[in-house]
Amino acid sequence: MNENVIVSDPPSAGPLMHEDLELLHEVALLTPGDSHLEMCIQCGTCGGSCPSGSAMDHTPRAIFAMLRAGMREEVMKSNTPWMCVSCYYCTVRCPQDIHITDVMYTLKNMALKSKMFQDTTASDFSKTFISYVENYGRSFEIGLAGIHNVTHLRLAVRLPNMVPMALGMLTKKGMSPLPPKRIKGMNDLKKILKRAKELEAA
Amino acid sequence: MSAQENKPKERVGVYVCHCGTNIAGVVNVGEVSKWASDNMKDEGVVISRDYKFMCSSLGQELIQKDIKEQKLTRVVVGACSPHLHERTFRNACKGAGLNPYLCELVSIREQDSWVHTDKIAATEKAKAIISGGVARVIHHEALEPLHVPIHPATLIVGGGIAGIQAALEIADAGFPVYLVEREPSIGGHMAQFDKTFPTLDCSACILTPKMVDVGNHKNITMLTYSEVQKVDGYVGNFAVTIKKRARYVKTEDCTGCGICWEKCPKKVIDDKFEAGIGYRKAVYTPFPQAVPKYPVIDDINCTYFVKGTCKACEKFCPTNAIDFTQKDEIMTVEVGNIILATGWDLFDARRVPNYGYGRLANVFTNMEFERMSNSAGPTGGNIVLRDGKTPPKSVGIVHCVGSRDKNYNNYCSAICCMQSLKFAHLVHEKTGATVYNFYIDIRTPAKGYDEFYQRIIEEGTLFVRGKVAEVTDAARNPGEEGKLIIQVEDTLVGKQRRIPVDMVILSAGLEPRSDSKALAKTFGISCSADGWFIERHPKLDPVATMTEGVYIAGCVQGPKDIPASVAQGAAAAARILGKIQQKEIALEPVRATIHEEQCSGCRICNTMCPFNAILFHEDKMVSEVNPALCQGCGTCVAACPAGAITGTGFSNEQILSQIDGLLLLTLDKKETVPSGS
Ligand SMILES: Cc1cc2nc3c(=O)[nH]c(=O)nc-3n(C[C@H](O)[C@H](O)[C@H](O)COP(=O)(O)OP(=O)(O)OC[C@H]3O[C@@H](n4cnc5c(N)ncnc54)[C@H](O)[C@@H]3O)c2cc1C
Ligand code: SF4
Ligand code: SF4
Ligand code: SF4
Ligand code: SF4
Repeated sequence: MNENVIVSDPPSAGPLMHEDLELLHEVALLTPGDSHLEMCIQCGTCGGSCPSGSAMDHTPRAIFAMLRAGMREEVMKSNTPWMCVSCYYCTVRCPQDIHITDVMYTLKNMALKSKMFQDTTASDFSKTFISYVENYGRSFEIGLAGIHNVTHLRLAVRLPNMVPMALGMLTKKGMSPLPPKRIKGMNDLKKILKRAKELEAA
Repeated sequence: MSAQENKPKERVGVYVCHCGTNIAGVVNVGEVSKWASDNMKDEGVVISRDYKFMCSSLGQELIQKDIKEQKLTRVVVGACSPHLHERTFRNACKGAGLNPYLCELVSIREQDSWVHTDKIAATEKAKAIISGGVARVIHHEALEPLHVPIHPATLIVGGGIAGIQAALEIADAGFPVYLVEREPSIGGHMAQFDKTFPTLDCSACILTPKMVDVGNHKNITMLTYSEVQKVDGYVGNFAVTIKKRARYVKTEDCTGCGICWEKCPKKVIDDKFEAGIGYRKAVYTPFPQAVPKYPVIDDINCTYFVKGTCKACEKFCPTNAIDFTQKDEIMTVEVGNIILATGWDLFDARRVPNYGYGRLANVFTNMEFERMSNSAGPTGGNIVLRDGKTPPKSVGIVHCVGSRDKNYNNYCSAICCMQSLKFAHLVHEKTGATVYNFYIDIRTPAKGYDEFYQRIIEEGTLFVRGKVAEVTDAARNPGEEGKLIIQVEDTLVGKQRRIPVDMVILSAGLEPRSDSKALAKTFGISCSADGWFIERHPKLDPVATMTEGVYIAGCVQGPKDIPASVAQGAAAAARILGKIQQKEIALEPVRATIHEEQCSGCRICNTMCPFNAILFHEDKMVSEVNPALCQGCGTCVAACPAGAITGTGFSNEQILSQIDGLLLLTLDKKETVPSGS
């Protein structure tokens, strides 16, 4: 397991130097629409609501405080956005109407680009997910979970507690263990994705 | 329009204010002043000056000296908004013998220097604004204010602590008061409380003496179980229509002995005074110290009204005071001034589904807790779970329920922090339970408030900084079994916590009364987007409204505690006493007039007037403006399809000239309209 993520860096000596005051603004700008990120009052509703909160090295609220404090490296290395399961609890409950889930996506993006995030499991999970969408035009939960766990050789370690979830997925209506059918208009989707990538690169 | 050819008939002075650097920092005031004297000679400008603070006494003296020496007949001041200093400059002119309405204040601050950064363009714009003022002022007429007598009586709507305070102040000064209260008794929310922060004195002990004073005061006419239906007239002379609901009890005969409600077989859940956790009878007074002491029969629940039989109360009443034939009464009272003190409603905690109120039995609201803690309340002052007997071993108090939250109300309800601290103390004192306060920020800014916070910390209340995410009964481990679990991020630790407790109290916020918008309309005043009534000035005139003669006090103006509500009640009373003692009032003569012969009787203006100032004569089929009600807003003038309405002070001539002036059309063609500012 990657130490950088699980164990937080030992606190560096001395106070934080406020060199990176643009960070918060940068994240807000990179988030589509108006995320209201600057309006966070640090109430903790998001952190309290988050089903992944206990697995995160920093709660979403703490991440927003760190953005404000310009702690770029710590945020980029954090597992928080990768633990986000996009449940939108936080966003619905946030008293300041901050688009927290959207910001989590922005942070993932920034972390990948900056190459600062060092635990590859979570980002690969996203990549596997995207590759299904790119190839089939839809997501495929079983394949995603399988491939992800196989490529990360975690199956053996995680198997016992994953079994109930896997069984649950298999018996749930709508979740087929077979690879998905390609959607109609796959070519069009590819064009859309290609254009999106171009736009992102620009 | 071409430049005037004849010799100008008026002698105009122009005064350009620097307002320190407020204006001069952006507008080249010297240039504007020079431009005015160089370019507007044909319009009649004989002198133009700039000065650091025109509103200072030196600035005003400058104008007065010119009026006398230069024989000015018109004055234009380019400075701040008329809201601020129109009266100052009008009075200065009056002091020098010029009719005050021959002075025009144009805003080169709010409408120019404060909203622009481009200095050159802003300077050009200032010239245009001044030019508009000069073109307009030439068409001004000398006006005299309207004088109307003031009726010495005052109407107070709402008998909570704010209304009670105001009523006593005015009545003690010797003037009559009508106090209209919707409920069967005065007292408002304060009558429901157990102890009051920060001193923890018993609420009833400090409130009831005042209620009794109101009840006994020879100058106060109490109209309880009543509501205002209609307001006609204007400052000094309002005619108010009030509906007195039938009590079915003859107050002349009733002694308040209480036999009727003792004998009444019909129990009703009291969701008003007892916040839904206690009962009353169909014939009732809301609480033992009610003022007046007479009960009312609630005709929706009374067995006799529902089924036609019972009349137990009538049978047992020793003075034959029950009268089932009573009808609602409509009465009209005349008053000179009005105070609205209708207070607040509690935020409905059911709207926050994740807090479980209404679904999880042991989640309580703050008002439920107040009644529970009150020894005169349904549990006799015992703090117990919903089963009515088990005292809680642990209690979580949740701050900011429905407040400071864009999903519900944006504003801070101002009292919940102190109220939550008060509850922590009461729970500690009465049950010895472990108490948690869950807060975003502790706001204790008033006198003695932070000291109270210190005291509560010392008493051992546990504070968790975090807005509660949810309250649930879904246990995740044996320790949570049978408990309510408060899930929260302890933001000072940066970790999620799940805290099991027996009882949760939600500090629901204050909201405007559900009927506040309708009430505002009845009295011709405005409310904010939230629904709180808007004061004339948020800092300098907190109890007056934009409608002359209508004042506001207490929570109707916004969330506040008892000391602030009392202060506002007294302040509104003082304002009114000052007016009553003047015996008459001078009204702005800036009014609309309808020319009868041009009016087609279409009645379009009737409903548009925001001050209900236009009445319709059915006989002549024409509309007429009541000059004392009209505020000179001009809405009707613009709305009238027949052009039958003119506004003194805003005639077509004045407005069109001002527009021409703004576009510099009144000047020689050598000046062009400034571009791109
Ligand atoms: C749980 C709780 C505890 C609190 N504890 C404290 C405390 O300990 N100390 C403190 O300083 N503050 C406390 N407050 C704040 C306090 O309640 C308010 O400051 C106070 O009630 C304001 O008084 P008011 O007269 O403006 O309004 P209200 O008390 O609401 O009185 C308004 C009155 O107007 C009447 N009315 C309403 N509409 C009409 C109508 N259309 N026509 C006629 N009558 C009408 C109502 O029936 C009522 O009698 C507490 C608030 C809450 C929610
Ligand atoms: S819920 Fe919203 S305001 Fe509260 S800490 Fe999270 S992002 Fe900030
Ligand atoms: S959307 Fe993501 S960050 Fe927000 S509560 Fe759900 S998992 Fe947590
Ligand atoms: S008549 Fe109505 S108010 Fe009187 S005792 Fe019967 S139920 Fe009660
Ligand atoms: S000017 Fe305004 S206040 Fe006066 S009558 Fe017309 S609409 Fe009403």
